[in-house]
Order: sequence, then structure tokens, then C-alpha cells
Amino acid sequence: MASMIALSLTAVPDHLRGALTRWLLEVTPELYVGTVSAKVRDELWKTVANSTGNGIAVLIYPADNEQGFAIRMSGQRRRHLRDFDGLTLVSFNSALPTEEADNETAKHS
Amino acid sequence: MTTPANARRKLAAPTVAMLPRTADSLSFLYLDLVRVQQDDTGVCAVVTTEARGTETVYLPTAALSCVLLGPGTSITTRALATLARHGTTVVATGAGGVRTYSATVPSSLSTRWLETQAHAWADPHEHLAVARRMYEHRFGHGTVPSGTSLEKLRGLEGQRMKALYKLLAQQHRIGRFKRIYDPAAWDQQDPVNLALSSANTCLYGIVHAAIISMGCTPALGFVHSGNQQSFIYDIADLYKTELTIPLAFTLHNASHPEQAARRSFREGLRLFRLMPRIVTDVQRLLAPEATDDQTDDLQEELVDLWDPVTGSVPGGINHAYDGGQ
Repeated sequence: MASMIALSLTAVPDHLRGALTRWLLEVTPELYVGTVSAKVRDELWKTVANSTGNGIAVLIYPADNEQGFAIRMSGQRRRHLRDFDGLTLVSFNSALPTEEADNETAKHS
Repeated sequence: MTTPANARRKLAAPTVAMLPRTADSLSFLYLDLVRVQQDDTGVCAVVTTEARGTETVYLPTAALSCVLLGPGTSITTRALATLARHGTTVVATGAGGVRTYSATVPSSLSTRWLETQAHAWADPHEHLAVARRMYEHRFGHGTVPSGTSLEKLRGLEGQRMKALYKLLAQQHRIGRFKRIYDPAAWDQQDPVNLALSSANTCLYGIVHAAIISMGCTPALGFVHSGNQQSFIYDIADLYKTELTIPLAFTLHNASHPEQAARRSFREGLRLFRLMPRIVTDVQRLLAPEATDDQTDDLQEELVDLWDPVTGSVPGGINHAYDGGQ
């Protein structure tokens, strides 16, 4: 049963971006959307999470929970998923160095 | 016509069409030991932990039906106003959602169901009919012979609960179970009682939110009376044997029964899709012959004037007779 996935990347190596276009559409730079089966999704995520370099990857896909979706994150970032008795919200830590600054160092054309 | 300025205003004060219906929104969010405030963009909870320092968590106010605020929480009026504008009920509760102290009401609600409720409550004949329907709902339709007195129904209900406790205690092999609700001796209670109280409070929160989002008042109950939450207890009792009681017994070995109850109860909510059910059940109990219009959601209605003959006449205009001074 294939379902939609959305994948957002920040400052990842170019080879990863190119590879992903074989499965998904790159709608805007580093934002991908597509429909794949759960198995393919899990395999893709394993690969993506291991090749983000200094960047960030976020995967969002439909799930049978109250919110209707699940989120996975990988990489060094200031936002973290927090669980409130089964409701997932995002916490933001402003004390850490900014993502924008990270992007400056990991810029690519 | 959507201009940028117009769109910006709509984001600040969303119209009814932009808000999820009661039945579609997320059930509840429990917060404690945080500060809830509004910054320039949204409502956020400021969480401070030793491990991570200070973090902000934005709350999806428009998608939540109910926010439970536990002890150690402070909230700003701006944040409260935003929650009210989005039709979110804010409930002040005890630790772990043990007791419900108070709740807020959004002001832009249709009064149709409130009026139906008040009519049924104030008419002795109708009041009894609603109470009887509530018991019938618990026993199953057609199981109660018509004309059974309310006293008899109370007795039957008591027996039913006892039998259920006994059955579940046997199933989970925990010997004798006695339901105790004693906030004063909270920590000395067995896990089942803790889990049950915690799950019940969540249930009250949801029911409270559903009742308020329909525009009904929680204070006018039919089986329970004399308490600001009477109607909530009435409605919550319809679901306890199906939801909270079996759940509490499964947690008889849990190390943190209260948290575990809230967590699994949320999953239970999805299974039972309780919110829409509460709304339809309340509508059926109060007005069984009314047409099922599930589209009946909060609407910002203009004020009408009441008239004993015609019902209601449009308000907001001058009704002076022609030629009158």
C-alpha cells in the first residue's frame, strides 16, 4: 500500500539530492514529494539519514494516529520532536547555534 | 476577494470556516510545569528542563479541542484569548489531570443546542425522558421496560457497575477491587484506581470540550444535578464501561498508571472516535426527533430578539412603529 511522503532536506551533499530525484519530485530546492510503499520509504530513510553529512533531513508520512502523520528527523538541528502523552509537538531550542549559520558553512551552488 | 491585508487579518482572527470541526480536531493536550504565552506569531509553551535548557513548543491551537493545564503552569491572557478565538477549551486540572477545576468558553457559539438543553431541563416531563434515555443508552436500547422508575434505573445501574468490576477483577486476577476516589490520599491508592481517576478526568476534559463546543452548558445535568459539571458527568458515564474502566484494569501492574492511562486513552480515543460520537449522542439525547444535521457547527450568529409569538425576530435593527414618536 503506497502512500505519500514528503522529505525536506537542508544543506545535504549534492549526490544525495540527485539520487533522490529517481524516486521523488524535487518541488523546490531540497523539498521532495512522492508516493512510495512503506518498505521503500523505510529503506530510503535509512539511506538518507546516513548520508546527510552536516545537514538535516526531515521525513513526513501518513500514519494511523490521532494527528494523521508521523515525523522522522536526522542531523544536527535545533528543533526536536517532543511527545506529550502521545501527541507529537516540536520544541525549539534558541540557545544553540542557528541553522542559518550552519547553512552558511555548508553552502552549495 | 482575498487581498494580502485581508488574508493577514483572517490569519489573526480566523473565520469559522477555517477552524476544524469539533469532531475533526485533536483530542487534548496536557501541560504542566510550563509557561504558556503568546509571542508575535503564535501560542507557545516555554519548557525548561535540566537536560535541554529552555525550549519553546508552539501549540497547534486551532487543531486542539482541549488544553488541560496542570499544576506549575502559568498562562498569559493573550494566549488565553487566542485559544478562545480558536474555539479551544482550556481546562485547569490537578496533577496528572486528576481533577477539573474550571474551563473557558469561546464566545462565538450558536445557542441552538443550549436552548434545546435548557428547554428539556426545565420541563419536568422532558427532563425525566432525557434521564431515562441516558440509562437506556448505557444498558442498550430496548432493554429497559418503558415506565421503569428512575429509582429502579439507578439500582440497575449500580448492579451493572458492580458486576463489571467483579468480572474485570477476575479477568486480571487482582482479587477484590473497590473503587476509591480520594484526592486526599492520592498516592496510597492502587494502580487501577489511579489509572481510572486519571482516565476519567481526561474523559471529562474531552466531554467538557465537546459540550462547550456545541454551545451547551455543563451545569444543567439530567441524572446528576447541583454541580457546575453535572451534564459532563451525565455524558461521560455513557462511555466509562467501554473506555476508562477496562483500560484502568489493564494497567494494574503499570509503574506510572496515570501517564500510561492518558497515553493509551488517547489511542483509545482514536479507536472509538469519541469526539464526533459525543456530539451526536448529546444531540440524540436532547432531541431524538431532530433531524441529524452533522453540519451543525459553531456559527457566528447575529443576535435575534425573542418574541413569544413568532419565536425570534431579527436584532440589530430599530423596531419602532412607523409614525411612533
